[in-house]
Order: sequence, then structure tokens, then C-alpha cells
Amino acid sequence: MADTNAAPLSIHPFIFTGRTADYFRIWAVSLCLSLLTLGVYSAWGKVRKRRYLYAHTRLDGSGFDYRASPVAILKGRIIALLLFGGIALSGHFLWFAQVAFILLLLLLAPWIVVASSRFNARNSAWRNVVFAFDGTIREAAKVLLGFGAIVIVSLGLGYPWFRMRRARFIVERHRFGATPFTADMETGGFIVAYLLAFLMMIGAGVLMSAGIGIGAVVTSGAGSSKPSPVFFFLPIAALYAAYLVVFAYLQARIGNLTMNGAIVGPLRCRSTLRARDLAWLYLSNIVAVIATAGLAVPWVTVRMARYRARKLCVVGTAPLTSFAAATGAAATATGSEVGDLFNVDVSL
Amino acid sequence: MIAFDGILHDGRTATAVPVRVEERGDDIAVCDGTVTARLPRAAIVADAPIPGVPRILRLPDGGRIESTEHAAIAALWPEHGVVARAAYAVETRWWAVFAGIAITAAGIWLVVAVALPLAADPVARSISPEVELYLGKQALKSLDATVMKPSQLSAEEQEEWEGKFDAFVEGEKGEENFVIAFRHAGRPNAFALPGGTIVVTDEMVDAVDNDDELLAVLAHEIGHVRGRHAMRLVLQNSGIAVLMTALAGDAVGVTFLAVALPSMLVQSGYSRQFEAEADDYAFAHLKRHGVSPQAFANVMRRLEKETGDAKDDGPVMRYLGTHPSSAERIRRAEEAR
Repeated sequence: MADTNAAPLSIHPFIFTGRTADYFRIWAVSLCLSLLTLGVYSAWGKVRKRRYLYAHTRLDGSGFDYRASPVAILKGRIIALLLFGGIALSGHFLWFAQVAFILLLLLLAPWIVVASSRFNARNSAWRNVVFAFDGTIREAAKVLLGFGAIVIVSLGLGYPWFRMRRARFIVERHRFGATPFTADMETGGFIVAYLLAFLMMIGAGVLMSAGIGIGAVVTSGAGSSKPSPVFFFLPIAALYAAYLVVFAYLQARIGNLTMNGAIVGPLRCRSTLRARDLAWLYLSNIVAVIATAGLAVPWVTVRMARYRARKLCVVGTAPLTSFAAATGAAATATGSEVGDLFNVDVSL
Repeated sequence: MIAFDGILHDGRTATAVPVRVEERGDDIAVCDGTVTARLPRAAIVADAPIPGVPRILRLPDGGRIESTEHAAIAALWPEHGVVARAAYAVETRWWAVFAGIAITAAGIWLVVAVALPLAADPVARSISPEVELYLGKQALKSLDATVMKPSQLSAEEQEEWEGKFDAFVEGEKGEENFVIAFRHAGRPNAFALPGGTIVVTDEMVDAVDNDDELLAVLAHEIGHVRGRHAMRLVLQNSGIAVLMTALAGDAVGVTFLAVALPSMLVQSGYSRQFEAEADDYAFAHLKRHGVSPQAFANVMRRLEKETGDAKDDGPVMRYLGTHPSSAERIRRAEEAR
């Protein structure tokens, strides 16, 4: 007999209501003004594009709100440009300077992850309740550098576990208003996902070598001394196709495992991304972007947002209106304590 | 009197309360059906308008009212920053959007084809010879540590070629910086480093049929040094990277492809341009030293046979290759005779 005391389980789907025609205009103006202002406007453009995409990502009738200040994004862009410019320029002549830059980047990784998570969280809101990220650099260093080192020592075998710990760290340290997220994730699902991806790559490699072998036999049998360029380009195309499929599979699997493990208060996320959908989307996106010399980029952005929203919902017993905003210490901690160093959007 | 509907999010819990907003002189009345709050209009901040995005009014107590009544809000809170006003004005007019795309396309072409090459030349020239020499030495050091082995040519042969090389560069601007260096690398190759060092592999010396052919190869590399192509290529390629970052700094996933692919095409285009420039320099330099550019055509043919390069690279390689096709280079050398 059913437990009659349990509150009814309600499902709240995400809906994306954005239109390509609207987003295209914001995107095109952003591109043009960025060029005319030597890149300075790109920060303003990013905020406008994000605000459009957030506002049209709707849950229970209300859109999300992106509140970042363009100036903070501009600062982050300048930092990223200096870092990557340093790596790119030094790479041409001074290998040791490049090694030094990459080491610096590695050491900075915990700061970058914490700073960008914090920036994105506290500039994202739903119904005027702001998200937050409470993770510290020390925690990020433990997960990224400490656990990352274990991956290297274990010759990569520990990678699925590392990915699970990283996802758990990111999910667990987020808050929606006063309600912290909790993570319900097991390493098992991650191991299965990466193992299958690995086997798919091996399978593709074997099939391709067989294909090249057969191709070589066929052409030499035909008495031609020079292999047809088809047999040169075909394996490359096949390799990219295989890579795309495996990439789509991992995006879907790891995305689902992470989102399905995210719990906030009485609600749980449910993500049902499918590898074959993503593979088709990625492939058609690539074709569209190349065929239109980039003009299809806003269409790609909108259709991806629409698909991701359609495959995501929150399930729970409590009404969505029950979430409270952070008050007192929790509300100010993110603002003042860490200072200006964190008020940049270093998204890499 | 202006009045419109909106949704109030009070900022304490995730609630959504429908409200009626009314203009009352200098004040604004917000009514949720039971209680009416009265606020000075100037205390409420309206966000920057974006087409297709609901407007948000920030109330002094932290609450926010969301509304799609764009006209009413624009009438009550008309003031915005210049950036927001300009962007909104363009975004809401289709003809302006398409003009923007045309300007973007023209701008990118201008930067890529004219501005960057024009700017890179004087910048490359302003780099002091000491810096260039240092960079060249570093590059050679890292090559020696990785792919290059010491030359197996006899000391006499090396000295003989050094003598011929010195005579070949006599009278060139910066002649004292030109140095020839021999290395063993497994395949015929010659390249110029910043500062003036020209590296020739043993296999290249073996591959040529006569002195004129090696001189033709050296003349091409001298052209690279004289044109400071190594520095200019680095500068121009970095310029492309900066341009693409400025335009699409938040590019991820497939969008990244829309940035990476054209960058690659443009950068290999720059490289082909410098190769053609070095070829032209080589033909003139050879003629000045009484050598026919036919030697250049001959050595290209020989290398083509040696390395088994495809005769006609086809349309794909014409845009992806860092060098013009061999057939094209041979044709130009024979025309320059």
C-alpha cells in the first residue's frame, strides 16, 4: 500500500524560450562592437548574451538572472590574455619560459576554479535568490592538485575517481540562497563511463586499421603504385567521427551523473542527456558553423540551450517557493572577506 | 499616468507575486492586491534593456520586479549608460544588425590582410639585433637537444662551404650576423633562425647536385633573414590569436571551431606569403651573383623526388599548407630566369 503521508512528488521541468532571431542580433552586435573597440566591448557583449540565455531558461514560470558586472569580466579577460599570451609567445622561442608558465598555470588552477565558480554562482539568481560557492582554495588544491597527483601516480587508472571527487567538490560547495547543495555520487558510474569510452576508442582504432589495411590491399591489387588520397583522408575523418561520438557519450554520461547527484534541500536534479542526441547535435553544429562561416553560432547556442533545458528537471516534494535567500553572515561572506582578487571572471 | 503589471521577487524567499506598478507623480506605487507600497521613482533602478529579455526593476529593499512591459518602463526610467543605449539601438534594428555584420567582415579582413602585416614589419625591425641573436641561439639549443644531431660532414667540407657562404652574403645588409651551421637531422632541410643563423642539414648537402643548387637554397633562407620573417610571423600569428580572443573570448565547444579553423587558415596563409617573398628575394640574389634561378627550380624538383611530395597538392593543401606548392615555386623560378 502506498504511503499516504508522503507529500506528492512534483516534477518541475526546465524550459528554454529563447529564439534564434533575437539571440542572433545580440550576438552580431557583440561581435561587431568588440572588433570596433579592440575587444573591450566583448565583456559587455558577454553579459548581454548571458542575460538573454539566462532569462529564457525558465523553471516554474520564472527565468534565471545573470548579474555580472562587465568590468569584472573585462579584468578577468585581461588576466587570461596575459597568461595565455605569455604561454603562446614564449613557446615560439624559449621553451623553459613556457614550462614555467605552464607550471604557474597549474599552481593557479585551484584559484582559477574557485574564483570562476564563485563569480558565476554569486552572479546567478532565480527569483531574486542568489547562488553562492563556498569552496576554498585549500579545498580546491586538495582535490585538483592532490587527487590529480594520485591520477598520475596510478598511471591514469584513478581518473574516474578523480572526476567524481572534482564533480562532488563543485556541487557540494554550492548554495542556493541559504540552502546548501549536497552531492550523491558514486565512483562506480564514472568508472563504467570512462571504461566504455576507452573501449569505444580502441574499437574505432582497430576498425580503422583494418580499413586502411583493406584499402591498401585493394589499391595495390588494382595495380596503382600510389595510394589514393581517399585512403589518407578517410581514416582521419573516421577518427574524428569516432572522437566526436566518444566525446558526446562522455558529455552525456558524466553530465547526467553529475547533475543527477546534485541535491538542493528537498529537491533533486534529473538529467536525461542522450549520447546519440548530443553526437547528432555536435556533428550538425560543426557542419552548420563551417558552412555559414560562423554565422550559425547563435543558432547553435540556442538549440543547445533548448536541448539541455528539455533534458533537465528538478523533482521533489517541497514547493519551489520554500527556498530562502541567505541572510547575515552567509550573505556577506562571499562579498567582503575574499576581496577584489575574487571579483574577476577568469573562465578558461 | 503610466501603469503596468509585473512579478515581484522580494529577495527573502523564492516567491513570485504578481503586482501592479503605477506612476503617482514623482512616486511609484507597487500593489500586490492587498498592500500598496509607495516609493520615490528615483530610488528604483532599472536594468539595461536587452531585446527579448524582461526588464528588472531593483527596489531599495532588495526586492526586484520583473516585467515585459518594455514601453512603460522605458518611459518611466529612460536614463541608461551610453554603452547600453548604443547596443540596444543597434540590436533592435535589423538593418543595423546586418550593417554590423558587414562591418565585422570588412574589419576582420582589414586587420588580417592589411593592418597586421603592416604593423608587424616595423615592430620586427625595432627588435634589437642582440635580442634576435639570443632568440636564435635559444632556438638552436632546443633543436640540438631534441631533433638535431652534430653534422657528419668533414671539417674541410664545412669550412669550404663557410667560405662560399661568406662570399655569397658579402655586401648584404648585416652581413656580419650571417652564419651557416651544419646539422644531421635525417632529412634534407634548411631553415633560418632569428638573428641570421642558417641551418643546413647534411642530407641537404648530399641531395643537391652542384654548388649552385645549394646556393639557391641558401639564397631563399637569406631572403627569410633579410625580411625578418621569423619575427614577423610570430608577431602576426600572435596578432591573430589576440584578435580571435577579443572577438570570441568566451568561445567553447563547437563555437571554438569557428575561431580555430579560420585562425589556422590565416596563419598558414601568412607563412605561404613569406615563402613566396623569400623565393623572390632568392631569384634576385642569385642573379646578382651570376647564378640562374633555374638552379632553384632544379633543386625543388630534386627535393620533390627525394621526399616523395605529391606533385600537385590539390585544392585542400593550397589553403592548409605552410608553403606554396612545389609546382608553383618551380614555375616562378623558371619565369625569373
